[in-house]
Amino acid sequence: MLQFLRYLGQRVGGAIATVFAGAIAVFLIMKAAPGDPAMFVLGDFATQQSIAAFRARHSLDQPVLTQLWLWLETVLAGNLGESVSLYAGRDIAQLIGQRMPSTAFLGIYALLLALVSSLVLGTVAALQRGRTADAAVTLFAVVGISMPDFWLGYVLVLAFALTLGWLPAYGFTPPGESLTGALVTGLLPALAIAAPLAAVFSRILRVSLLETVERDYVTAARSMGYNEAFIFINYVLRNALIPFVTIVGLQVRYLLGGVVVIERIFGVPGIGSLMVDAAFARDYAVVQACALTFLVIVLTVNLIVDLVCVLLDPRRSH
Amino acid sequence: MGTRIDGLEGGRRAFLQAIGAGVLANAALVPLAWAAETKTLRAAITGYTVIGTLDPAVVKSISESMTLWAIFNALVKFDEKMTIVPDLAESWAVDGNAWTFKLKKGVKFHDGSEMTADDVKFSLERLRDPKTESPYKSKLDAVASIDIVDPYTVKITTKEPFAPLLTFLTNTRTGTQIVPRKAVEAMGAKEFGQKPVGTGPFKFVEYIPGQKIVLEAHKEYFVQSEPKVDRAEIALVAQETSAVNAILAGNMDLSSSAPFADVPALKKNAKIKVSSMVGLNYRYMELNNKQAPFDDVHFRRAVSMAFDRQSLVEVVLFGEGAPANGLIPPGIPAAYDTTPRKTNTFDPDAAKAELKKSKHPASMPVTVVTFGSSWWKRWAEVFVDQVNNTLGTQLKVEVTDDNGARTRIYANNIQAAVWGYLGFIDPDEYMYEICHTKGSRNNRGYSNPELDKLLEGARREMDVAKRGALYKKAEAIVAEDVPVISCFSNNAHNLWAPRVSGFVPLPYSAFGSQFGGVSLSS
Repeated sequence: MLQFLRYLGQRVGGAIATVFAGAIAVFLIMKAAPGDPAMFVLGDFATQQSIAAFRARHSLDQPVLTQLWLWLETVLAGNLGESVSLYAGRDIAQLIGQRMPSTAFLGIYALLLALVSSLVLGTVAALQRGRTADAAVTLFAVVGISMPDFWLGYVLVLAFALTLGWLPAYGFTPPGESLTGALVTGLLPALAIAAPLAAVFSRILRVSLLETVERDYVTAARSMGYNEAFIFINYVLRNALIPFVTIVGLQVRYLLGGVVVIERIFGVPGIGSLMVDAAFARDYAVVQACALTFLVIVLTVNLIVDLVCVLLDPRRSH
Repeated sequence: MGTRIDGLEGGRRAFLQAIGAGVLANAALVPLAWAAETKTLRAAITGYTVIGTLDPAVVKSISESMTLWAIFNALVKFDEKMTIVPDLAESWAVDGNAWTFKLKKGVKFHDGSEMTADDVKFSLERLRDPKTESPYKSKLDAVASIDIVDPYTVKITTKEPFAPLLTFLTNTRTGTQIVPRKAVEAMGAKEFGQKPVGTGPFKFVEYIPGQKIVLEAHKEYFVQSEPKVDRAEIALVAQETSAVNAILAGNMDLSSSAPFADVPALKKNAKIKVSSMVGLNYRYMELNNKQAPFDDVHFRRAVSMAFDRQSLVEVVLFGEGAPANGLIPPGIPAAYDTTPRKTNTFDPDAAKAELKKSKHPASMPVTVVTFGSSWWKRWAEVFVDQVNNTLGTQLKVEVTDDNGARTRIYANNIQAAVWGYLGFIDPDEYMYEICHTKGSRNNRGYSNPELDKLLEGARREMDVAKRGALYKKAEAIVAEDVPVISCFSNNAHNLWAPRVSGFVPLPYSAFGSQFGGVSLSS
């Protein structure tokens, strides 16, 4: 147990350091790109004077490192600051709070769709290795991995909204407004995100199952006369799930990236679209806050994945 | 190995059956939900995702303008023939420097108060007050005083005759929409921008960031027959294609634009109505007149004659536009110059001859900045390719985003860049602002005193035809100097669902201002 706690402590410490290093990297990269929040706010009517006044008001005329320090001060004070250009004057934590439920809902929705379908497909493919079902799952996986998610998004709209008329082509009801509405309006975007994930997951599970099935301990278990279902669940599946869970955890990054594109196609008011809008508006603090949020999510998920793996295989805490 | 775990067969089948049942159950849930409400107009403003403020004095983006055109009125407005007609003003008269506007009586703001001369004076003086930080301040620089003659009469006196004034008092990108003095003073400007109160056909209800703006009918709107719907919801849709799909699927009624490439196919589709007309916009190549190679008029002329504007329209806009013959677009007929100009015409031999006169060699590396994806990028690529083929020059494209390009153009930190303006209606907004030495859109270091004098004179000329002739003279000077390279005007499009009637397309991107007349069948 002590060992486990020490392991946990190391991981959390490393994660916090990574979050800050990541946020600073994002800040410096943003600053290196041309652009100015004043241009977003002042638009077609910007003049040299109004640009200069805007820059002075928001400390944008200070050296980059000073600006970085100002931002770090704000964050260390437990605050995410205020939007400068995109939603000028609004509290960033509040902006993220408003957007979080939609992104989280869509991400979890897509992940569940991907997990359920890949567990089914991966198991079927492994059990039917070399037969038609296996070939069909492989075909699905190749197609799924090859299709860009935005393209798939439009194909789904063509099929389910324009041709069949079952689902809306655009618009998303946030889960806070109506859960049923979110489930229905979120189905197409969730499917577009889930399909490539399901393709990867089912391949990994198939391979992992096939490898595990040939392990000595499975043969040993079988020699002890356990029935096949018991062996499959307790010996094969449990061990095969370790690489599967690891891959699922790693794909959360893809999930967040995919959400950004899909959110824009379907008009989902989530963190992904907030971050893209903020980047175009050069609203540095908002981009930073979104990046922090993403980093925290990815690292938390990775931590959970590692802990789940430890639970599945206690030897891993060493 | 497969055979040994065949014992699972039964369980697996049951599991798959359960999944199948789940899918069917989901499918059964789906169809009912979006029977469209007949009385809510669902409109999409495309290409934008954010509204910062709806205070007419300080809005900047076209998406904000489009939204507030449904909420506010100005003294006058343009009709579909681009003639200025009364709006809040019943009539007007101009006598030298004095403009007298008679206001309509009984016009109600959304808060129930009556709109009077006091509100008009307040709204316009706000723009002129430096504390407002209005981007439209310069539009009223020529004004000397604004006086209340009686509660329904306002007199605006200019320092000298100022012809563009009437255009600047329309419900366009001018900031001159009329706001209620009491409400603005009570709320403060910042809050007013979040809770705007106007006289228009629609009242502001709420703005849900990332989703939509919700408006409801103004029951006491002074045009008795309008609005014809109960509510209007304006969605900010990032992708044009999403709006097209939403109309085709019946989730949207109206869109502010259409993807150029899809227009021909959409025109044949019975599920959608398409309007297409030459728009009031100007797309051009911005040039740094202070830096090599475009500091040299011969190099500028050579490049301007080295590409075919018509083929640019075909390839970049899929034919949805018109080649530019100068700065002022064909949508302003009185000032539109039809005289063929040598430097705006594709002529490879003349181009090569001009290049020979240039102090810069063809081999000089030149970067053309463009941004985003879609047609802006395609435009730069096709342009660069044509010019290089004609002249053997070394132009290349550099891609950034809208913000990056704008920052660099305003700081004159470019050699060349694709650029343009949309929604401006007075010839002064094109010619003076882009080419006068003190023009607010002239950051390139171009200056020609002869042209400046002509443009100042055009501001004072009150006769429309005579004023138009002055702009044509200005076009001749610009065609000699080539401070920028005129390329084309793109068509303005609107899309709407078959259940929509009464939507009157206008060439100046007036989206929002027409919502009052729109009705919906079920």
